[in-house]
Amino acid sequence: MNDWLIAIMAVAGTILVYVSGRYFYSRYPQPFTLPIVTGTLVIVLFLVFTNVSYPTYMIGGQWIEHLLGPAVVALAMPLYKQRDMLKKYFFPLTTAVAVGSSVGLLSGYFPVRWLQIDDMLIASVLPKSVTTPVAMDVSDSIGGNPSLAAIFVMVAGIGGVVTAPYLFKWCGIANDLARGIASGTASHAIGTAKALGNSEREGAASSVAMTLSALLVSVIVPSLVIILF
Amino acid sequence: MEHIRVVVHIGVLYLFYYAGVWIENTFNMMIPGSIIGMLLLLCCFYLKIFRTKYVEKGVNLLLSHMPLLFLPVTAGVITYFHIFTGSGLWLVFIAFVSTLIVMIVSGWTAQFIVNRRGSNE
Repeated sequence: MNDWLIAIMAVAGTILVYVSGRYFYSRYPQPFTLPIVTGTLVIVLFLVFTNVSYPTYMIGGQWIEHLLGPAVVALAMPLYKQRDMLKKYFFPLTTAVAVGSSVGLLSGYFPVRWLQIDDMLIASVLPKSVTTPVAMDVSDSIGGNPSLAAIFVMVAGIGGVVTAPYLFKWCGIANDLARGIASGTASHAIGTAKALGNSEREGAASSVAMTLSALLVSVIVPSLVIILF
Repeated sequence: MEHIRVVVHIGVLYLFYYAGVWIENTFNMMIPGSIIGMLLLLCCFYLKIFRTKYVEKGVNLLLSHMPLLFLPVTAGVITYFHIFTGSGLWLVFIAFVSTLIVMIVSGWTAQFIVNRRGSNE
């Protein structure tokens, strides 16, 4: 089959899977039915059962993936739109994000190192707390694998929103601003979507925290790697 | 007209992206080019060189359908199934526990600062 045909089929198929996933999520909104979870599952199962290789699928898939670059650039706009919140709560936001992100990196790094798991995997786990496209870029630039990085980002996102209500209760985190910042720092876009459902202020705090943590991690991690590896 | 605007706006985002990639390569920086592009766009907003309405349609489209954009990449896990048997499961566990720690620590830090500032006012 020629490459153009494969590409068009892969792109159309992926869009179809995504649209169906969104519809399914609108009917059954649960963290485990997020389009990224069901969509990944469907595509993986499709490839396994039809014996289509991943590189073949990526002939078309890469055209979709290519849009991730401008999508990361686009994150500048929500941050700019929340500039009043950033200005007003600059100190709590930056401090909490910096402390949280650092703790996230260290608590991800050391256990994996102790288990003597190889560097490629460590590099894929490290950026788990930041939004997927940034995590993929970061892991790629430090020798990790973007696909694996995206899986660990999903674990952080879904694991975070599922447990957040209990954590906040048990740990006495009652302030809505603090809750938003925690969700954005630990569980990126999935946490932010959940925070937005609670209140607009919590969502805004989460959105700013998510973007700040993405910025911070992408600046810190590459230099940290020189020291740690 | 609406569609053309979306395409042009995404084109503008691409310009910032490629500018970021160019800076990354030229100055041999370790920060990903996409992030440099984002910082450039943010600076342009803050310095009022650029208004959000020049990119708004493209931004909204890309951000609201972000999961579609990384589906092809996440499907790549298919080539790493062997990792998730045995010791790889530890990685999932570590990522999960680490997330809980981040949630608690960042929440506490933020709440501590907000409350202290509140009592001073």
